[in-house]
Amino acid sequence: MSPSSDIQIDPRGYRFGALVTFVIVLAALVVGANAVGFVLMAVLTAMFVPGATVGPQATVQSWLFRTLVRPRIGAPSETESFRPPRFAQQMGLVMAAAGLLLGLAGAEAGFYVFAALVAIASFLNGVFNFCAGCELYLLFKRATTKAA
Amino acid sequence: MDALIRLAAVVVVLAASAMAYLWWSRRQGRVQHVHVPGALTPDDLGAPRGLRATFVQFSTPICAKCPPTRALLLRVAQEYTHVSHIEIDASERLDLARRLDIMRTPTTLVLDANGVVVSRMNGAPSEAQVREALDELPPPGEYSI
Repeated sequence: MSPSSDIQIDPRGYRFGALVTFVIVLAALVVGANAVGFVLMAVLTAMFVPGATVGPQATVQSWLFRTLVRPRIGAPSETESFRPPRFAQQMGLVMAAAGLLLGLAGAEAGFYVFAALVAIASFLNGVFNFCAGCELYLLFKRATTKAA
Repeated sequence: MDALIRLAAVVVVLAASAMAYLWWSRRQGRVQHVHVPGALTPDDLGAPRGLRATFVQFSTPICAKCPPTRALLLRVAQEYTHVSHIEIDASERLDLARRLDIMRTPTTLVLDANGVVVSRMNGAPSEAQVREALDELPPPGEYSI
């Protein structure tokens, strides 16, 4: 938790990005497990990569927000750490990639399940500002770290 | 046609998720009275306790609501005498997190003057909930020096 290496982001930009994610994954779910749906999931997976590696400030979604949305709504009144959103983007990347690979392998149910998980997380994040990664992180640590 | 069925299924799943979320979010920060055997010592906590009460806030680096909760607890603690605030990184103190059943962050334990846990707030509390938890604890006894 060293604040020196922290980057502060505009939380509204991240919520906007979650809504962009939601629209794409919703389109993939409606189109279904076919070539068009797989292309949409591939695009979504690729869009998660910069957010999962550098952070949410590096995504296409955040560029859209900076150039199209923020000039109309002004500067943020508060900022947040980039770490929770980056963790969320990592979870999104894993789930979107899993859905894509399962779909390509012919496991349609896997495609729908993982796409639905991405849809639920991005919907709750965008609409209610709910951070699923924040709730899961400690459970994840507890499950993966052995007692000393 | 299939696309319409899938769209309807997605709408149902999202509506259920939204209802689950709203039910869950109403429970944020509720002051729950708990009995935890034994006391938390300054050694356990890595910091001195307050003479009247101590907020022990468990956070992680991956926690959007932890910094605002820290600011709220610090501000309220400063209004009272002998109330202190300790923030612990639960992902680094998994021993404490396991011992005290910390499943999510922020979780705030309220300790009495002896370091005994009297209540806990899971999730980000409101200012009213923080005051409610604190007002249950008596002020420290008289002392002459």
